[in-house]
Amino acid sequence: MNEPLFQASNLIYQANLTYDRLRIEKGKINFIVGESGSGKSTLLKLINHSISPASGELLYNGKPIEDYDPITLRREVSLVSQEPFLFDESVLGNFKTFYSLRQIPLPDIEYINHITDLCLVNVPLDQNASTLSGGERQRVYISIFLSFSPKVLLLDEPTSALDEKTSFKVMKNITDFCKENDIEMIIVSHDKDIVDEFSENKIEIVKKG
Amino acid sequence: MRGIATLGIFQFLLIYLLLIIVLLVMKKSKINQTRLLLIASLRMTVQLVIVGYILQYIFKNPNPILTMIFLAIMIAFSIDRAIRGRKDLNKYFKVAIGTSLALSGLFVLIFFVTIVVSKSIFNPQYTIPLAGMIIGNAMTGINIGIKTFMASIKKEKSKITTLINLGIDPKDILKPFANNALETALIPTLNSMVGMGIIFLPGMMTGQILSGTLPTTAIMYQIAIMIAICTSVCLSVFLSLNMGYKSLYNNRKQFL
Repeated sequence: MNEPLFQASNLIYQANLTYDRLRIEKGKINFIVGESGSGKSTLLKLINHSISPASGELLYNGKPIEDYDPITLRREVSLVSQEPFLFDESVLGNFKTFYSLRQIPLPDIEYINHITDLCLVNVPLDQNASTLSGGERQRVYISIFLSFSPKVLLLDEPTSALDEKTSFKVMKNITDFCKENDIEMIIVSHDKDIVDEFSENKIEIVKKG
Repeated sequence: MRGIATLGIFQFLLIYLLLIIVLLVMKKSKINQTRLLLIASLRMTVQLVIVGYILQYIFKNPNPILTMIFLAIMIAFSIDRAIRGRKDLNKYFKVAIGTSLALSGLFVLIFFVTIVVSKSIFNPQYTIPLAGMIIGNAMTGINIGIKTFMASIKKEKSKITTLINLGIDPKDILKPFANNALETALIPTLNSMVGMGIIFLPGMMTGQILSGTLPTTAIMYQIAIMIAICTSVCLSVFLSLNMGYKSLYNNRKQFL
């Protein structure tokens, strides 16, 4: 059996947020499912090491996550949180700002257009982000993180603000892009249809207590 | 120059009559703070009477130890006022505030008294009133600065989460928040410097002129104290925030 991308055993964040044993596979679209409050988002934060467990072991590529430099790890294992944040400037301005924060040069406009098209960002790039709808903000937000082409992409409820048709299209485009570019995917979703359609490895988290 | 007209106790009490006007306005405007007005007036009176007697005693019997005790109490009270009731601050942050307030206040005070005025730091007549103004203003500055800083990081939580997830060092995320808070804390002092002399004659200068000091001497003291206040506010808020924000994340670059 291949070495898993992430592997956890007896992972405890808080008394009611524990993960006994889980395997996240390489080269597969991993979905994390479970009822609300079961700790799906918490697991993603543990995986990008923006929080630490109280005890237990979490391995990334076979190595304890504590052994990685946290900043490098977060750039490599990129978490797109549920709540989009965009700066109060144009969509393109947001790309510029995010890239300058990461201190890497802005990719060419064709690439940005390509990525935003994938995410169905159907507004002009010079439109101000503060005028976007919830669903548009979410798609712009995802497209910025996707454009960095991380090694692992963690998506927390990526379709929560989207209608069913758009959700399927966006998910199809993103999963295709990730497969083409060898980006590993771990997705938290409570949308059963999305999970059934795209999941290649379903990890179920059970609520405790 | 003539000395100040001594206030007789009966004449002095007349000033309290003005509070009736405040009471009437408050009643008319349905401001339910009459209790606070009474408590504030009473507390001010009692506190100042006590301090008046203590200072009179200290000035008559100058003693380095007494001066230092008085100074220590002032610093302790101002630190307490700056951190009390702030449940959003962790222990290290509070220590950072206390240390910054004490160090900045003392540094500016010692510079002012021993180098500018060329008096001993143990001379209560200079050290105590100047310490009150320098430390008191630093305390107000810290209050504004910390309040602004904590409120803005709370308000911008989703921005901070996004930047953490983007792989930005928490130090680089929080530094701009600290800079903004410092700017906000400095504005009142800078504004009062701009308006000084034209819009109002400041308290210390008024006091000195009333007691017979030449206005030209009084303005020099006023300018000096304003610069001292500005420096102590700037330094204490800068140090508090820059030491304090480092307590908000750990060495794994995680927010606590």
